[in-house]
Parts: sequence; structure tokens; C-alpha cells
Amino acid sequence: MYETIFEKILTKVQKPARYIGNEFNSVHKEFTGKEMTFAFCFPDVYEVGMSHLGMKILYHMLNEREDTICERVYAPWVDMEEEMRKAGMPLLSLESHRPIKDFDMVGFTLQYEMSYTNIINMLDLAGIPLCTKDRRLDSPFVCAGGPCAYNGEPIADMIDFFILGEGEEVNNEIMDAYKEWKGTSEDRNTFLEKIAEIEGVYVPSFYDVEYNEDNTVKGITPNRPCAKAKIKKRIIKNLDDCFIPEKLIVPFMDIVHNRIMLEIFRGCIRGCRFCQAGYLYRPVRERSVDRLTKVAENAIKNTGYEEMSLSSLSTSDYTCLKDLTDKLLEFTEERKISLSLPSLRVDNFSMELMERTQKVKKSGLTFAPEAGTQRLRDVINKNVLEEDLLRTAKIAFDGGYNRIKLYFMIGLPTETDEDVLGIAHLAEKVLNVFYDIPKEERKGRGVNITVSTSSFVPKPFTPFQWEPQNSIEELVRKQKMLKDAIKSRNITYNWHQSTVSFLEAVFAKGDRRLGKVLISAVKNGCRFDGWDEHFNYEGWMKAFEENGVNPDFYCYRKIDHSEVLPWEHVDVGVTKNFLMKEHDKAYAETTTPSCRDNCAGCGAACFGGGVCFE
Amino acid sequence: MSKRRLKFSKLGMGKYISHLDLLRTFQRSIVRAELPVKFTQGFNPHQIISFALPLPIGVTSETEFVDIDFDEKCSNETIIERLNENLPYDLKIVSATEPKVHPKEITYCQYVIKILSEGLEEEKIKNFFREKEILAMKKTKKGEKEINIMEMIKEAEIISISPDFAELKLILSAGEMNSLKPDIVTKSLEKYLGIDEFESTQIHRTKIFYGEEEKIKEFC
Repeated sequence: MYETIFEKILTKVQKPARYIGNEFNSVHKEFTGKEMTFAFCFPDVYEVGMSHLGMKILYHMLNEREDTICERVYAPWVDMEEEMRKAGMPLLSLESHRPIKDFDMVGFTLQYEMSYTNIINMLDLAGIPLCTKDRRLDSPFVCAGGPCAYNGEPIADMIDFFILGEGEEVNNEIMDAYKEWKGTSEDRNTFLEKIAEIEGVYVPSFYDVEYNEDNTVKGITPNRPCAKAKIKKRIIKNLDDCFIPEKLIVPFMDIVHNRIMLEIFRGCIRGCRFCQAGYLYRPVRERSVDRLTKVAENAIKNTGYEEMSLSSLSTSDYTCLKDLTDKLLEFTEERKISLSLPSLRVDNFSMELMERTQKVKKSGLTFAPEAGTQRLRDVINKNVLEEDLLRTAKIAFDGGYNRIKLYFMIGLPTETDEDVLGIAHLAEKVLNVFYDIPKEERKGRGVNITVSTSSFVPKPFTPFQWEPQNSIEELVRKQKMLKDAIKSRNITYNWHQSTVSFLEAVFAKGDRRLGKVLISAVKNGCRFDGWDEHFNYEGWMKAFEENGVNPDFYCYRKIDHSEVLPWEHVDVGVTKNFLMKEHDKAYAETTTPSCRDNCAGCGAACFGGGVCFE
Repeated sequence: MSKRRLKFSKLGMGKYISHLDLLRTFQRSIVRAELPVKFTQGFNPHQIISFALPLPIGVTSETEFVDIDFDEKCSNETIIERLNENLPYDLKIVSATEPKVHPKEITYCQYVIKILSEGLEEEKIKNFFREKEILAMKKTKKGEKEINIMEMIKEAEIISISPDFAELKLILSAGEMNSLKPDIVTKSLEKYLGIDEFESTQIHRTKIFYGEEEKIKEFC
């Protein structure tokens, strides 16, 4: 129906390959009217969305069902949006180019807070009523999952239901329930009531939120019997038994992660106190070497990719990494496929491990000390020592790696100027490791250390959820101080825009009153907020003002442990009590050992699997 | 190893696959097809693949050529069959032969162009092609330069015409030295007819030629 307009528009936009579909291994099913249809939306541009592993898993898993058609949708880039609005063409799916408002379900994955405006903009482009209360019987159900769904309150008004946790099982349960409901003449709430009973499903409209006079949350109360007082996340207990896609879509154009991603485990044993993923994905569960080897071999055959990367929160913590890489190299070397091991820690890095990754292709190395002094690394529980980093740097330089990237955070709780300057000192020490090598033994030409700082954003379900963020001015001051302290021309310093970090904090810890701000922000032209060239701070500030909402309330307050949090009704397994203890330990500069060294009793054992029972 | 010339079509949405993306798509398809192909030596080995003539984005074609080095034991039939199982939907191998003519010898391309628009007058279109000089800007590596497109149109034929539809067959200069993209002709025609923008323009490459003037032959 929109084919002619669509084709004409494509001649006018950059990178039309973003919108065409038909990539190898994409699933194109025939619509007979009997199937359930699911539009899987990633609220960012194709190159970013196509790089996301979770979407690959759930897309192929839903399409394994004979009764379901799942198609992909990405946010049209600004030039495409402009042409679409001019031509009156609604948002279409990638595979069949059908309007997404004709799908039964429209699901968004929430990977970062700064994609919320794109969600609203996509709903608007689709012609789907923005708020749940305005949707009618023939509107699709709009659902959302992913890490930001654990506090999805800022977009609760727009989402019919959230899916908390890993989707491999619960998504199928929801589709089964939908199949039963679809044939009946019952209203939308009947379906929502039914799925509200499924563990991991959160229907925000079934909860009333009350506020105190000081704007803090007074209580979050279920308003019907099917709504549980606490919604518990879902996990897959045994990752070897669940669906792993092997026929991955091979895009035409270059995308951000254009390679096979082999997910070796979920969760992290470490417990860095700022890291939300480290708590959300507990407990740690590993895949077996046998299963991974088979998946890898099939994925290579099915895609023809020339590169494979191991994926997890901390690769070197995989217990059988040597065995796994041995087995993988057996066929990757022969097929000239390069293997990359990202997310390495400096405390268990070895020459042997490094040699494995460089057998085919040598690239730069990245490490994340996160803080510049030992004191602050103890506060955040990043159990990495300076000598670990310097030892690792020596190994890397000796091995011919002359580019090392170091990631840090500024604005962490208890941080002093000394800690910030410590980043510059640490980078210099790493550089000196290179210069300490006698000239004739140095490999390659020159050396470069890249220091990147992001700004600390306090996140829900971490020990730092009660912490305030540094003000924008303070972050800028620290960035400038660090920049001035870095003297060597062989050290490059990059930093994040602090205004973006500020908004990220507001929406990470926000509540339902931010929904109207989001709608205003989109009206003011905000979208693609994660892209520097599109970030529109004025549009955002105007949106807060228009709705009488003070953003500072959400990110600049030190929250008392006794306060009711906007995400109080969500249960990720890790208890609030544990987080409080970790918060106190941070101020005592006391570290907590990893899950494998000593169980700290975080609460994730309630799921009955993983590292808790090893 | 022996070099084969594969003739393939690029249809439908495939017209939006850029030249660089097409190269990558072929490389990965060959790996999936597990065909014995020659790799370059060196630190970053890659397959030896070269396309005869780039196809502009937005243009479909039934006559594209790519040269690839395969093991001589691998038959043309096997290459066609296995590659077609592993190419994306919009790409299809039509035939495989030994290369006879060097791509440098390409001189002309034939396009069939379908235009949907109001106000298409036969006489005006004929006049357009009778003009001695129509100037247009052409993008080059160094920037833009003005060219006379009429010097680069070898033949123009109106296959069918009605007030809202026209089908044209054009033979345009092609090759490294002197090439004219078909959309420059359609844009110039729009301007000549005083039409802001045709409702739809479909361009399809049907033949590639080598040789000069009256003696042109189909590339093979």
C-alpha cells in the first residue's frame, strides 16, 4: 500500500539500506491473518539496533513459533522521519513494510534512558495513541523489556505492560495467553489481567502511585487482585537449555557490532557498586564449552562472518576460558575468522590469553580501572590494583599492543580532586611502562593511551541508588581539571557530555510524573538524545518547565534509606537490605569479594540456580 | 585457481545495496556456500573479487558482472547452485563463464526507464532527445563539473508513451573514462518538461557493451 511512496522516499535519504530488510537470514513469513503479529522495535537507528544481541535472540525465538510473525522496526533517522512526515507515511516494519499499528503487539527494548524520546516519536509516527488510556480495542498492545524496564516508571503511561528479566520463556507464555484472548470478544484489560499473573509481567496501570507533600513517593499500591504486590524478574536457570539463535541476520551495511556475538554467560560475580548490570543480571550462569562450541560453529557456517566476539559482562571471569578458546581456535583459525575477547579485567589478564586473541588480527586493548586511586576503587568495589594494571600494560606492550584505552568514571560518591587527578597519574604510569622498555626492544611505532571518562549516573538496584549525582558545573570542572593535568601528547582524553549524564540520571531514577515531560520534549524536537549532534538540552529544559517538574529533585538529592523508591514494587532478587549494607561498606572503604570467592548473601540465590549453587 | 565471470541480477530492494556493501555481501555468501576461493596473501587475507562496473544506488539490473578466483576443480554449475542458495533474496547468479573481455573495455550501458508522471508529452520528450546540448552537473572525485549529456547518449528510444506513463530505452556512455548516470538524464528531462518531480522513476540496467560506435558488442 505504501510501496510507491516508500520507494520514492528511499531515493532521498542517506543510507537507504537501513530500511529495506531482505538481509540474509531475515525471516519473511506470509501473512494469512491467522498469525499473531509482533513488531519488535529498537528505539535507535538500524546500525545500533541491529548490533543488539537480545533482540536477535527474541526475534528468532518468536519466529520459531509457527503461529507468530515477528518483524523488526528501527527508529528512522532524522532525514527519513522528515520525508515520512512530509509524505504522510506511517512507521513500517522492516520485513513486510506493513504499518506497525496493524500488528497485534508492539514491543520496545529499553537499553538506555536516552532512547525514551525515540519510543514516543516512533509511536507517534506509527499512529498509535501515545498513552495506554487512549488505546482502543484495535490498537496494538505496547510492551517493553530490557534493563531500563526495571524502573520503567517514566514511560509507564505509554506502556501497556513491561516484561522484567530474560525473555526466552516469558515471551512465549505471553504469546500463548494472547492466542487465547485474541479469539474472544473480551476487552483489553481482560488480557492484561491474565498476563499480570505471569511472573515477570508488570502492568503499570494496575498500580496506583501516591506522593507525599515533599514530592517523594508515599506508596505504590495494586488496584486489582491480579496485580502482585512485588513483581519478580524472570531468569533462565540453565542457559544451555534455552534457545540460542544460530541463523543470525547478516546486514548489508556496516553496523556497530558487525560480527557474531557468542554469549558465554550472564550476570557478573564482581559487584562493582555503580554497575546496574552487575546486580540486575544476577546470579551468574555460564554456558558449557560444548554447547558454545556447537553454536559458534553453526553460526559461522550460517552467516559467513569473518569475526566472532565473546560476549558477557566480564570475559576473563568465564571459568573455562582456556578450554573454550582452544576449541574455538581449532576452527576459527582455519577459516581465517578473528576472535575477539572484549571486557577483560586487568587482575586476571595473561600473556597466554592475549596471544589467543591476536592469532588472527591484532587490535587495541581496553581496560576499565574506573577510578584513579585505590581508595576510590575500594569505595566502588572495583577490586583492581594499580600493580595489576601496570603488569597488564607491560604484557600488552611486550606483545606489540601500542594502543591502550582506559575507562574511568568521574563524579563517583566520595570523590575528591585528588581522585580525579589520580586518573592522570595512573595514565602516566601506564605510559612510563612503555618508556621503561629499552628503546631497541620496543615494538611498533610510538604509543598511545586513551583516557575516557563517563560521568557517574546513580542507577536503581545498585548500592549507589541513594546517591546524588554531581552537578553539571562540578562535572565540567572535574573534566577540565583532568584535561589540564594530562601533559603528555601520547595520552588522549575523551569525556562525555555532562548534560546528557544529568538527564540520564533523572530518567534512571525517575517516576511517573516524568511521562508528560517526555511527551513535551518530543514536541520540542528532542530525539536521538544519545547522539551528540541531535542532543537538544534547551528542548529538554523547556519540557521540564512547561510541566512544572524540577529535574534536580530526581538526581541531586541524597535519598534516605527509609524513603519509598519509585521502583519499590520490583524485585530483582538482590535485596534492598543487601544494597544498604553495600552502600554503608562503600563509605567504610571496605570491599566485598566476588561471588566465587565468598557468597555475600545478596538474595539472588532465590532463583535457585547459577553460581549460588556451584 | 581459475577466474570466473559471474553474471548476476540485482532486483527489488537490492537496488539500495551500495557498492561496498555488495562486495561484503558476496564475500560472506561465498564463505557460507563453502566454495573454494582464492585469498590474498598477507596479514589480512581477503577474497579476490572484482565487479565489472558499479551500479548506481537506486538502479536495478539484470546484467551485473563479478570476477572471482575459484579452484579449477569447482564447476560453474556448482558455483551457481551453491551461491544462489546463499545469496540474499534480491541477488541471483544467472550464469558463469570464463572472462573474455576486460572491464576496462566497457563503453556503453543500456537502461530501460519507466516514468510515472502527469504531463508526459511525446513530442516534448522527442525534442529533448533531439537537442544538441543539454548541460548538467556531474559529481566527480574532485567536485562537480558541467557536462553536455547529449554527447553521452548514444541511443534513445521511446518504447511506450501515454500522458501519465513513459517507457524509454537509453544507451549511455559507461566505463572509467566517460560515464553518464541515468538519473542525470531523468532529472534533466524533468527540468526540460517543466515537471518538478516525476511521481516515480524506475531505472533498470539491461545490457553492458564494449567496443566503439557502430561495432558495440555485449560484454561477456
